Amino acid sequence: MRKVYITGLGFITSIGNDAVSVSESLRELRHGMVPYPPFQKADVPVKVAAPIRDFQTDSTDAEDWIFPARYSIRRETLRGMAPHGVYAYCAMQQAVEDAKLGESDYSNPLTGLYAASAGSPFLLGHHLERMRKHGVMRCPPLGVVASISGTVNFNLVSQFKIKGASTGFSSACASSAHALGFAYDEIATGRQQRMFVVGAEDGNVESILPFAGMRALSLQTDPSLASRPFDVARDGFVGTGGATVLVLESEEEVERRHPKVYGEVAGWGQASDGHNVAISHPEGTGLRMAMENALRYADVASEAVDYVNAHATSTPIGDISEAKALKAIFRNSPTRPAISSTKALTGHGLSLAGAMEAGFCALAMREGFMPGSAHITRLDPACEGLNIIRATLPHRPNVVLSNSSGFGGANVCLVFRAA
Amino acid sequence: MAQSVNNSSGIPLKPFTPEDDANLREALKRCSAATYEAAAQFRKTGNTEHLPAIVLGIIERYVEPDLRGKLKETEDDLRIIEDLGIDSLTMMEIVILVEDVLQMTINNEELRHLRTVGDVKTFIECKVRGLPLPKPTKFIPIEQIVSVMPIQPPFLFLSEASVSAHGANAKYKISGQEFFLQGHFKDNPVLPASIMLEALGQLAVLFLLEGQVGEAGKVVDHRTIFFTSCEGVRCHRVCKPGDVLNLSIKPKRLKSPLATFEGQIRVGQEKAAIAEEITLTFAFAEEVAQPVTEAQPTAAMSGPAQAAVNA
Repeated sequence: MRKVYITGLGFITSIGNDAVSVSESLRELRHGMVPYPPFQKADVPVKVAAPIRDFQTDSTDAEDWIFPARYSIRRETLRGMAPHGVYAYCAMQQAVEDAKLGESDYSNPLTGLYAASAGSPFLLGHHLERMRKHGVMRCPPLGVVASISGTVNFNLVSQFKIKGASTGFSSACASSAHALGFAYDEIATGRQQRMFVVGAEDGNVESILPFAGMRALSLQTDPSLASRPFDVARDGFVGTGGATVLVLESEEEVERRHPKVYGEVAGWGQASDGHNVAISHPEGTGLRMAMENALRYADVASEAVDYVNAHATSTPIGDISEAKALKAIFRNSPTRPAISSTKALTGHGLSLAGAMEAGFCALAMREGFMPGSAHITRLDPACEGLNIIRATLPHRPNVVLSNSSGFGGANVCLVFRAA
Repeated sequence: MAQSVNNSSGIPLKPFTPEDDANLREALKRCSAATYEAAAQFRKTGNTEHLPAIVLGIIERYVEPDLRGKLKETEDDLRIIEDLGIDSLTMMEIVILVEDVLQMTINNEELRHLRTVGDVKTFIECKVRGLPLPKPTKFIPIEQIVSVMPIQPPFLFLSEASVSAHGANAKYKISGQEFFLQGHFKDNPVLPASIMLEALGQLAVLFLLEGQVGEAGKVVDHRTIFFTSCEGVRCHRVCKPGDVLNLSIKPKRLKSPLATFEGQIRVGQEKAAIAEEITLTFAFAEEVAQPVTEAQPTAAMSGPAQAAVNA
């Protein structure tokens, strides 16, 4: 198996639109939650979301969208994109620049792209309404590729002329963690030299609000209290969108190109709850097995783990389930790992979450810090025995886990090692 | 339609309500003000003189800003894909907007042969007026040029060509291997002006052979075509190996036994040569060739929609 390194990052997130500001927000525990204007209506019980700054993508007409001047996107490119396609495009540009890749480096048969998003319910709804109202022949010809699940890989693969492996992953909130895991496999087994891993979501009314029907969203009106994983008073997650792109490269490529290295992807594991379509297993069985598989694969003892970026979304059931899984793994460890959920700052990015948090772990390893778990006033007693850090620690973690769980009880654990 | 009124052009007019006007403004919000004005006038009066401005305004809106300058030049000959960078999907967007603005329906099959801005304008005008659709521009690859032309290499100066009802276009790249360049001039190969004129003449021959000249059923006999005269030939630019000549001719008068054309050659955006008149003689073949399919009335146009993308 070849070693795999993270050599580039790009972020469009609720806590910053580049690696520098994201890193600052993580260290200083600055969150991205606001009273979200489209939610301020009597019939919408949810009030808070974590939107993307400096972009305006609320029109169904992509030519109305506004994005920072440093990105230029042609009309013919834009017309096939959802809002999160634009976020992903911008994050991709950052990642390509960060990894110092020229076009010949990434447009070749040994460079692939794995992506995850839920598609764009916003545009899908708009196009279907137009179809019903004006007839199918009056619908924009690129409405399908702009809105269905897979839109991110369709767009980025064609725009960046990717020639290697490409596909999308669909395991809800574990999707982009799966994408990263399988991208690791492509390189470790020698099939690809380099992989882009992309997670993205619209993070707008249509992608967030349906979760209110599941009673999964926080009803808090105070943005600084709405997302508080592991706190006893947590009442649901806060929705967010954006995009994160990671560049993974083989050890040969790292030796040849000498890029900046954030850390190594040491391996990963997955397992399923086999329990409920939407609720995680009360004992965290699937996630525990995923962590066991990941540690065994990466040949890492649980005692060696320094930091865990938890999946914990701030829902009453999910956080406890993960806490139980973590206790099962680290119970007798003399050096308990620091644990935090950065979703307290970002909100929950759904398909984006796994890649975004992997990106945070990469920043933590390279820059030498462990972000705190924000907004905890009173730790849920069920979490006692876990080292949930309330403040950011200025130490470099050597071994890092990042957990993700999705609908259907899909669980993924990624293992990183500082380079 | 009880409220329909007929105007002088014979097009049934639907009433143009303030709501229609608001929708029209919204539909054309990214087009020039002139496009909206022309469209509003057309919808109010049915006057087809506004159609070229509407169609051009809609096409312009979908052309990337850096290529829009081209539309100000020889617009009818501009090729939609090659010159304006419009792909088949953008063409569909154009059609959807044209349908919306002109309140008409166009099916995919009808679009497949539209290659130039001129083709689109003619097509829309025919559709709106209910006239038979003209023969679309025909693209003729080099193999076919060689097979139909009486003139053959090494004296053939046309490569890819296109022929429509209104004229013909072709390209010729000066390779540097042309035999006459060895002596024209000494150590300084320059395409002779007489060859430029010859190339335009050859394109006129191709037009006579491929351009559906004359009444249905008659075909021009290639053995009867000869040069007779030219007028107003001027060269503006020296053409050398590596240059790609863009040749175009348009018929001015076509009546057996004489056909008179105007022609010009450009290299990139630079004018290389013009000929105000090139006249050829020609005659139709005695035997009647295979029947020519009549242009079908638009109402009969149908057919399965062509899938434009790989699903």
